[in-house]
Amino acid sequence: MLRELHRIWRNPRYFILMTLGVVFTFVFFATVTREGQPTKLSVAVVDMDGSYLSRRICHEMEATQGVSVKAVYNNHSEARKAMQRGEIFAFYEIPKGTYNDLLQFRSPHFVLYVNSAYMLAGTLSYKQLATMGMLATGAVQREVYRKKGYKDEQIMGLIQPVEYDTRNIGNPWINYGNYLMTTLIPAVIAFIVLMHTSYIISRERQEKTLKNWLSRANGNPFYALIGKMLPYTVWYVFLCLLANLIMFGFMGFPLEGSWMLMVLNSILLIFAAQSAGCFIAGSIPDPPLAMGISAIYSAMSFSLSGFSFPVESMPTFLYSFAWLYPIRHYYQNFCDIAIFGNGFSHCWPRFCALLAFGVLIVAGALMMQWQVNREKRLAVQQYKRDAV
Amino acid sequence: MINTLKDIWTVFSIEVRRVFGDRMVLLIFFLAPLLYPFIFCFIYHNENVENMSIAVVDEAQCEESKRFIHKLDATPELTVSYRCSNLGEARWLMDNHDVRSVFYFPKDFSSRLAELRTARVVVFSDMSSFYFYKAALTGGNAVLIDEMHQIEMERYERAGLGNEEAQIQMQPVVMENSTLFNPTGGYGSFFLPCLMMLVIHQTLFLGICILSGDARENRKSLKLIPPHLRRGSIHRVTFGRSLCYLIIYVPICILDLWFIPRWFNLPQLGNLYTILIFLLPFILAVIFFGMAVGNLVVRQKISPMLCFVFFSLVLFFITGMVWPQESLPRFWLLFSYLFPSTPGVQGYVKISSMGAQLSEVRTEYMVLWIQAAVYFAVATLTLGIQTFIRRRQNILTHNLRRVRFEGVGVLTENPLAETDRTNETITKTETKTL
Repeated sequence: MLRELHRIWRNPRYFILMTLGVVFTFVFFATVTREGQPTKLSVAVVDMDGSYLSRRICHEMEATQGVSVKAVYNNHSEARKAMQRGEIFAFYEIPKGTYNDLLQFRSPHFVLYVNSAYMLAGTLSYKQLATMGMLATGAVQREVYRKKGYKDEQIMGLIQPVEYDTRNIGNPWINYGNYLMTTLIPAVIAFIVLMHTSYIISRERQEKTLKNWLSRANGNPFYALIGKMLPYTVWYVFLCLLANLIMFGFMGFPLEGSWMLMVLNSILLIFAAQSAGCFIAGSIPDPPLAMGISAIYSAMSFSLSGFSFPVESMPTFLYSFAWLYPIRHYYQNFCDIAIFGNGFSHCWPRFCALLAFGVLIVAGALMMQWQVNREKRLAVQQYKRDAV
Repeated sequence: MINTLKDIWTVFSIEVRRVFGDRMVLLIFFLAPLLYPFIFCFIYHNENVENMSIAVVDEAQCEESKRFIHKLDATPELTVSYRCSNLGEARWLMDNHDVRSVFYFPKDFSSRLAELRTARVVVFSDMSSFYFYKAALTGGNAVLIDEMHQIEMERYERAGLGNEEAQIQMQPVVMENSTLFNPTGGYGSFFLPCLMMLVIHQTLFLGICILSGDARENRKSLKLIPPHLRRGSIHRVTFGRSLCYLIIYVPICILDLWFIPRWFNLPQLGNLYTILIFLLPFILAVIFFGMAVGNLVVRQKISPMLCFVFFSLVLFFITGMVWPQESLPRFWLLFSYLFPSTPGVQGYVKISSMGAQLSEVRTEYMVLWIQAAVYFAVATLTLGIQTFIRRRQNILTHNLRRVRFEGVGVLTENPLAETDRTNETITKTETKTL
């Protein structure tokens, strides 16, 4: 361990770089998702009617917070081209003769086109415009009822017989910052930990200082690995906790359950990621190959953790594959602790799973021992051959 | 002209041998871009959450609530798997993740309906993944609208209005929706095109960085450049190398960006010709970007893997596909245009998912050419400066040796040992200066 500290001290470049990487990612997501949801999305209107009513609709669209009307087009193809250029995310098409139809009690048809190739922008602008459409319809109905002499309260009951009262557990404001950061930041940290672990082991091989390293641990690769990991464990656990503290403490994201469990969760995540790194780098003797495999393995952790798209909806064989990723267990624990406020009784299987990753350190150590022994054997054979 | 071509050919053949002689680069150039698209296409094969299990708590026990629950069960998104007698039970199910959403019908549901007041359904949804929320919302809204119409229809019928009249009263304006370019609104159709472009961007970029890191670490960057090109014609080296990468990546791009989307039924409206024309500056920009970064910062063979892979996430986020570009803070927007992935992903998605022509992606196309030109200049300059420094050092070493040997006058017994030692000291000083 002292040797590793000395190594960090001598060449702190990558250590600092990785820390900066974590900080950079944190700052990036914090600043980008500051508003919670993107606002003022560009939308447009294709106004073929050109009447008082269609103008009024434009104004009402402009007045909603989520969207802003970028342009008014005269025909469908212009709007479609603008959409293909990515200038607008949605547009309302108001057909010719709408106002007349309305006056003569022939229901006119409005068409709302949404570009859903952009997931978030499409969904949000759809939500805003569809709500506005409903309200506009409601406003017309209300006028009719008012003229018939109903009271406002009764009118609401008539226009909207049933409504939803939504309670969003764990993220009441539908804040994307809350949703993304609480899982993405630990995922990035786990990713960096894994890569860094396999990097420092590979580096020993590359610099041919493996023997020196092992001899410092009396030739026992298990102790050698543990000693090497320890400074990084402490540092990354500190970073992870700091990130959690900022998110749940200062940024005010809700944390239902206990802090202690969250701390335990973070520690185990770092531990498991390090174990996986030890195993990969310990068992593959070719350093570049080890790095490549670690990268290929961990690049999929973001998808298979299941917070962007639920793992339950993926094909079944991938469902079991997701268990190979520490971040998956962390994420499930996180849901239990932060969102539902469940206690240890719910989390313990996943804690055990994360602990079980520790077996990988032993496996990695055994593989390294085997390699060292083989090298020795080969050297002895070579020596004998030379002697003969 | 012929000389130029000859030189480019020489550099090209050296580079091909390097690429195919390195296991790590092979892994990144060939395995990753061939493997990832398939894996990710499988992962996101089911585009939406289907038959998400929900619980209902029906305290109203009336005709309308029963009908409502039946309709919820009938939506493709939701399945009513538990009927609870109180909220506590439902909460327990939710805590155990047996259900992702709870629909609660309070006692006054039917009485409110009868009194012509707005009745309320309380929906609790699990926000751990937005897809659970989205499924509950889509399924629930469809039922809500349908149910509202039915209730209103019944009321109008009781009031003695005809079917058509009631329809007009209820819906003075008919709203139609049409989702373009991603008809199912699924995650896969949105995510996979971006992912393919990012995979190509990252693998190509990393591979080039690794190659230049390898050359630096093993001190062969000078050897790789033919002697007569070291002085003034360094741009031919850049050209030759990029030609090698270009030839490797064009088939990979065609496979990843044209064939795989067809096989997995992703939206694909563009034609191959447009895509290829658009991809040319993209690949070039990535190549020169990789070379520039490789020459500037990479010193080891394996460090690029450590430093740049996690960056993919940030790159994906600033492309503007997730978070709209206009909502990005100004600084990040400018920052995003440092990378060829931003205009690349935007342009490719517009061409392939939305069927845009080149004229519609004019901006992106121009930006890519500008990036390619700028990074070409940077890559060539840095390579030139480095070669210059190396050559200076080599000449210095040479002179130093001569001075030593001549100054001492007599050669030591083993001249080889002496030179080796000087070599070592010089490489050490070199590392320090670098």
